[in-house]
Amino acid sequence: MNHSPNRSLHMSRRAFCGGLTAAGVLAGMPLSSAFAQSYPQRNFRVIIPTGQGGGAERLARAFDDAWSKLLKHQFEYTFHPGAAGQIGYELFVRQREADGYNLLFGNMGPEMIMYAVQKPNYRFPEDFIYFGRTDIDDSCIFVRNDSPYKDVKSIVEAAKKKPLNVAVSRIPHPASIGLLALGEATGSSYNLIPYGGGNPTYVAVMNGEADVGALPITGVLSLTSQFKVLGVFNKENIFAGITENAPTINSVFGSSIPDLYSSRAWAVHAKWADANPENFAMLEKTAEQAHASAEFRDAFVKTGAPVESLKFGSRQVCTEYANAMVELAKRYEPVLSAQR
Amino acid sequence: MGWDNALLLSLITDTLMLTWIVVPAVLLGIVVGAIPGFSAQNTLIILLPLTLTMDINVALAFMVSLYCATHLGGGIPAILVNMPGTGGAAATTLDGYQMTLKGKAQQALVLCFVASTVGGLVTSVATVALLPYLAQLGLYLRSVEMVAVMVFGLVLIAAIAADDPLKGIIAGFFGLMIGAIGTDHIYGTPRAAFGFLELYDGVPLVPALIGLFAISEAFSMMERSTVVPRSSVVDTKAQWADTLEGLRLSLKYWWLTIWTSFVGLLIGVVPGAGASIASFVAYQQARMFSKTPEEFGKGFAPGVVAPESANNGVTSGTLVPLMAIGVPGGSTAAVMMVVLQYHGIVLGPRLFIESPDIAYGIFFSMTLSYIVMIFTILPLARYMSQVVLIPTKILVPLILSLTIVGAFANREYVFDMGLALVFGVIGYIARKTNYHVTAILIGVILGPLFEQYLLRSLRIGQGDLTILFSSTTANVLWAFVVLSVLLPWLRGKQQERQRKNLQDRAPTALTGDQA
Repeated sequence: MNHSPNRSLHMSRRAFCGGLTAAGVLAGMPLSSAFAQSYPQRNFRVIIPTGQGGGAERLARAFDDAWSKLLKHQFEYTFHPGAAGQIGYELFVRQREADGYNLLFGNMGPEMIMYAVQKPNYRFPEDFIYFGRTDIDDSCIFVRNDSPYKDVKSIVEAAKKKPLNVAVSRIPHPASIGLLALGEATGSSYNLIPYGGGNPTYVAVMNGEADVGALPITGVLSLTSQFKVLGVFNKENIFAGITENAPTINSVFGSSIPDLYSSRAWAVHAKWADANPENFAMLEKTAEQAHASAEFRDAFVKTGAPVESLKFGSRQVCTEYANAMVELAKRYEPVLSAQR
Repeated sequence: MGWDNALLLSLITDTLMLTWIVVPAVLLGIVVGAIPGFSAQNTLIILLPLTLTMDINVALAFMVSLYCATHLGGGIPAILVNMPGTGGAAATTLDGYQMTLKGKAQQALVLCFVASTVGGLVTSVATVALLPYLAQLGLYLRSVEMVAVMVFGLVLIAAIAADDPLKGIIAGFFGLMIGAIGTDHIYGTPRAAFGFLELYDGVPLVPALIGLFAISEAFSMMERSTVVPRSSVVDTKAQWADTLEGLRLSLKYWWLTIWTSFVGLLIGVVPGAGASIASFVAYQQARMFSKTPEEFGKGFAPGVVAPESANNGVTSGTLVPLMAIGVPGGSTAAVMMVVLQYHGIVLGPRLFIESPDIAYGIFFSMTLSYIVMIFTILPLARYMSQVVLIPTKILVPLILSLTIVGAFANREYVFDMGLALVFGVIGYIARKTNYHVTAILIGVILGPLFEQYLLRSLRIGQGDLTILFSSTTANVLWAFVVLSVLLPWLRGKQQERQRKNLQDRAPTALTGDQA
């Protein structure tokens, strides 16, 4: 520990009391200064379609550290997990006002796959659009450090003899599609077991319930004391240095599996963005500035995830990616859905 | 890890310096826990902007104290007005409220407070000592083992409805049916949600709990002028002697308090399990090992001790996976994780080497919060018990308004307020027709978890049912399940035999006398 606990306690008590007083004063203060700017004039309400404490929340909070300063307003989060994200999206589209203050922070990959498979009551990109992509999180295959599987070839060999149990976050997920595509390319067979989130998936691999796990790589890298990455579903492994040069799946098997990654992005109602192009442009521009800021990167590093995964994407980039995910999901729809 | 005296001393002094934040957190936690629908998780999310600005040790002490206190607070309305403040206190209503009806509300409250604090205290100290082993233990309880744990809870349906097993089974299956609403656990396809978006994630526990217990009880209360019958009102007058009587009973059941708190600790260690399951399993186990199981459900002190001790045992268990492997064990732990990561704390085994003050400090803060809790709450039992004397014409509107707000507060859906009312009507009809509302609730709580673990196990076994008996731990648990079904039956048979022998002997003795 590198600070004196006693001193910090005294300081924080004062800070705590001071904070409470300041909050009280602010609550009663007239909002005259806020009217200097037409948008935004109040705090943003953000829906996260996954649970608390997950990767999305950590990333959103790290991002809004910088973004809220540029927008001069805070972000308030509500969490609506369930039905592979469908609840959060339905709520956002059907029940939240399209006023530019209601945002959604989602994981485009799995949530567009869910959109393609479940065919919910909203339309993309007519009802909402993504903008301000924050990261590219490659799907990977990982095992426990003491696993008998030392490389991805040994996994495929074992899966050729009998279906191998693989822990995944959800069935409609890019990492799950990766396993299905790998099976198709190599003649191996995988039994996907959904655990409903990254955290329980880690536990399933840790306790040996599943032989192998398939998830986005950044979360796995924050638990390197427990896990070893064996392969990555992308053209190159940008984390080669911290994954003992784990190869890309295509380079090992000569396959042509598309790049499979998750990408988190902000979303806003399409109706509002189209009706208020200047305000939307400001939102997108400040998001890009926040993404480039040292403040965001510092906050992101604290979450234990590697900064190499941070890559900004505009509305156009996000829309292309989201549509590509829909196409991919349609290809694997029979195995991603309960409807046969 | 070998204990270093300097570290231990520094942890103790640092923790004592946090008393200023632990006291308000405990008081807030008790209030939040006592209002059905308001949970530690909600409160911590609301207060997150404040905790993020605090020093990490202060923030953790605040969060953990509030969290532990909610588990104690949940038992208060469960005992006084048959309305569990949290899911973990639902099992407390079974005997707690019966004690209130017998004019022993104060004793029941003292039992609840002592069991909660002692159970929490013992398990938090045990966690500090056994943390590396507990972290490993959590990894032994996998889906297959959890299926057996869920069956333990479901077996309780049969036990609490022993007077009318058919109605118990109907109520239990009704609850399981309600629990099946929502998206399926494998493909995430909505089912039986009738197009209601709010039901996609399943029937939410809080409105179900509020409706089945609080609202239905409030409806029942309208039919009488006070919570307790007039005949018990005289016995309900507050006296310090009743507090002492409660303490004497707590002392009498000290061993039950200890072992049921460990049931809570072990269940808490498993990510995804929680206080609701722990308290039902502890109640079921306490009943099974009791010499007088027939007394359970009739206002029997162990029926209050077991669930309360277990639901506070969960509090330290749920933090074990978070601190030891960096994976939150429950939703409250997930909120704590956000704060820890915001401060750049890397969770997992390295935490105990790099920041032992934080890794162990959280459990020391928990210990302090339990000590503060017992001294804060115990003297209040005398006054709290007087709630039952408030006329129902005042109490009922108060309960209805608070609980309806509670139903909304959890997810902020207006739909949930209506859902709570629907469950209120179901609960009222169940009470009037002698169907056990607890049996329905057990189905609602355990149904989705049972289904989730079962489907996952079957998928792991690739369709092979013997997967359920594939591990030694699971088989030991299954043996306990069988035992918990057979033991009451065998005991009943034995008692019947003894009664018959006595009856047979009585005429013989009479004949002998006559001779």
